Amino acid sequence: MTAPLPKRIIKETERLQSEPVPGISASPHDDNARYFDVMVEGPGGSCYEGGVFSLELFLPDDYPMCPPRIRFLTRIYHPNIDRLGRICLDVLKNNWSPALQIRTILLSIQALLGAPNPDDPLNEAVAKQWKARENQPEAIKTAREWTRLYANK
Amino acid sequence: MSGSPPWSSSRWHSSQAGFVPHHATSNSTGRLEVASSPPDVQRSLSAANIAGHSSLRGMRRLEARRQMEEANFLSSKARSQNLNPPIDLRMLDYVTAYDDNLMCPICRCPFLDPVVLAECDHCFCRDCIRQTWASTYSPLGPRGDCPSCRTPAKLGPRSATSKILVNITDDLLVRCPKSEDGCKAQVKRGEVQDHVNIYCGYAYMECTADDCELHVLRKDAAEGCLHFGVSCLDCRQSMQKASLETHWRVQCPDRKVSCELCKEAVFNREWDTHSRETCPAISIPCPGKVFGCNSRSKRSQADVHAKSCTFAKLTPMLTAMQQRMDEQEAAQKVMVRKLEVLEGGFQAVQTILSTKQEDPDQVGADESRIPLLTGRPHQRGDSGGMLDAMVVETDVGAFVFPPPSSSSRPSSELVHVRAGASLPPLYSAPMAPGPRPADLPEPFTMDFDMASPFPPPAANGPYISPLHHLLSMHESLRDEMSRMSAALQELDGRQSMQALNENLRTREEISYMAAQVAGLSRQVHWLTSAQLQRQQHGGAGRQAAGAAGPSGSDIAGAGAGVEAAVSTAASALRGAARIVNAGQGMTMRRGLSEEGRTKL
Ligand SMILES: [Zn+2]
Ligand SMILES: [Zn+2]
Ligand SMILES: [Zn+2]
Ligand SMILES: [Zn+2]
Ligand SMILES: [Zn+2]
Ligand SMILES: [Zn+2]
Ligand SMILES: [Zn+2]
Repeated sequence: MTAPLPKRIIKETERLQSEPVPGISASPHDDNARYFDVMVEGPGGSCYEGGVFSLELFLPDDYPMCPPRIRFLTRIYHPNIDRLGRICLDVLKNNWSPALQIRTILLSIQALLGAPNPDDPLNEAVAKQWKARENQPEAIKTAREWTRLYANK
Repeated sequence: MSGSPPWSSSRWHSSQAGFVPHHATSNSTGRLEVASSPPDVQRSLSAANIAGHSSLRGMRRLEARRQMEEANFLSSKARSQNLNPPIDLRMLDYVTAYDDNLMCPICRCPFLDPVVLAECDHCFCRDCIRQTWASTYSPLGPRGDCPSCRTPAKLGPRSATSKILVNITDDLLVRCPKSEDGCKAQVKRGEVQDHVNIYCGYAYMECTADDCELHVLRKDAAEGCLHFGVSCLDCRQSMQKASLETHWRVQCPDRKVSCELCKEAVFNREWDTHSRETCPAISIPCPGKVFGCNSRSKRSQADVHAKSCTFAKLTPMLTAMQQRMDEQEAAQKVMVRKLEVLEGGFQAVQTILSTKQEDPDQVGADESRIPLLTGRPHQRGDSGGMLDAMVVETDVGAFVFPPPSSSSRPSSELVHVRAGASLPPLYSAPMAPGPRPADLPEPFTMDFDMASPFPPPAANGPYISPLHHLLSMHESLRDEMSRMSAALQELDGRQSMQALNENLRTREEISYMAAQVAGLSRQVHWLTSAQLQRQQHGGAGRQAAGAAGPSGSDIAGAGAGVEAAVSTAASALRGAARIVNAGQGMTMRRGLSEEGRTKL
């Protein structure tokens, strides 16, 4: 028999459903309450505006002592997100704190879409494109294109 | 602690002789012994009083008894704790809403044994912060970064935490963890363990019967041992009396329980349907929930809400629209795909045409033809003049271009497009790709002398539409042709296969028969030769006996007759084989002629 779901996960799930963060939705699977389907809307004013990105989120057994595992399922052109959808975000790694929650993490990811950080890249090729001043409009154009192509609802 | 238990020894020592323990009214095993003790104590004490203070023996006995009773009580308490494992205080259900400031940021429950980090004043449960810092071991005790503000901090002593905080969190009202089993008690969180261990009627304790080691709910303990077999009157399932009540409440399919919401009695087996579909008091979301209405109402009042809710009214229409949109989207995807294919084909045609145009050598040539073949290219031998024509197979179609110098006219099978523009042979294009002089008129802009249903071509369009039309017509004709030829080929194949099969079978039969005939003839031959030998051998004797003569010759004659018959049969068979072979030849010829027809 598996251990009962910690109260914290139950509470977080309830709160995500009852007061959802605007532009973000997360719903647990029926058969696995630790596995969430996440939708994040591209922040307004960014090159991901209008896109709806789907992610998967998994709460490991020792959550909240270790960070949730999260990955983009939708293809996205972003210097901090690689081809497999893995996200380079400090709070998902060394800077995790058990006081953080699913909603705060999703908000950080939305913020990362609004403010890509090519200085700490996960996707070298994209980051190079992004960093070179003359290439940046090109990179942003590609990001828009990909958003239109892949992140269309 | 407010949960200080009534059996604590200080209380016991200070008690008066007539003290009846607080818990004597609860049905615990401890009670049985304890409850019997006060009168004894009273009696002993009063006896001691009467007999004066000198009865030292009595006093000692009293002391020993009291110690024994206390030991009994403590052991029974320990046992009941074993039966009821320690409660996970984080899983409790809080009755009253509590301030978010009382919530630990790590476990999101009201603080349990809170600690305040002296460095930043943030507060966590002791367990939570210990677990967080478990990976960063330090010999100086648990330390690490504050999970809330990342200030380096260390775990302080319990005394550093304000008593007020501890009391507030311990005084929060919770439901008894056995509430699902039926306990309606609401107790302070600090006392919940004691409640379960001592008072809760739905906690387990040992059966009161001496020879029974099973568990029983505390509320049933007074009824004696309930561990005997009974069978449920409703469903006939057999079980122990002690578990009958639980069975009735949750399992028995044929027993009615009353719905907490609507007070209606419902069969256990229909419980799912009741809560999902019929219970009038259960709260259900508005039918327009997916479209934005967040209102929930009791099922009985759902209609009232639906009448006033715009979302609910629009829901059927919106759902239908959604469905239609999905359908349209799917259809559109198919169309897009088709369009892509068509565009690809169109582009291929364009490339062919533009390569031809760019050949400068042929720009001046007055006339060119795009004969659209209606037959197969290798049939063109029939129209002698086309022998030297170029056959260019491309992925778009087979074009036959007569060399520019050739004056031969294609046969009547070929459709001509007499475009004024030049259409040089494709083969020369890659060899001489020189630039086209800028002042040359655009090709394909000449008049079109074919009776055409199309409007005259645009003056400066690089391609004229009738040509495209013809090309597409050609394309479709080609498609048709290839379809037909494929069908014919298939038919042909099927037929020749059939003939082959038939032939094979016949041939097999014939060879079998020939073998048989050969065997027969060998046998006959052997018989006749044996007969003949015998005749020659005993010829003289037999000749003397004239009677034997005719019979011997008769046999020989018969033998010869049989032989002749067999050889006739064999020749007949050979004839049959010939016929079959001829038949095969015929079918092959037919196959050829059919092929010839398809080529026509
Ligand atoms: Zn905590
Ligand atoms: Zn802090
Ligand atoms: Zn209780
Ligand atoms: Zn019993
Ligand atoms: Zn039953
Ligand atoms: Zn009901
Ligand atoms: Zn509504």
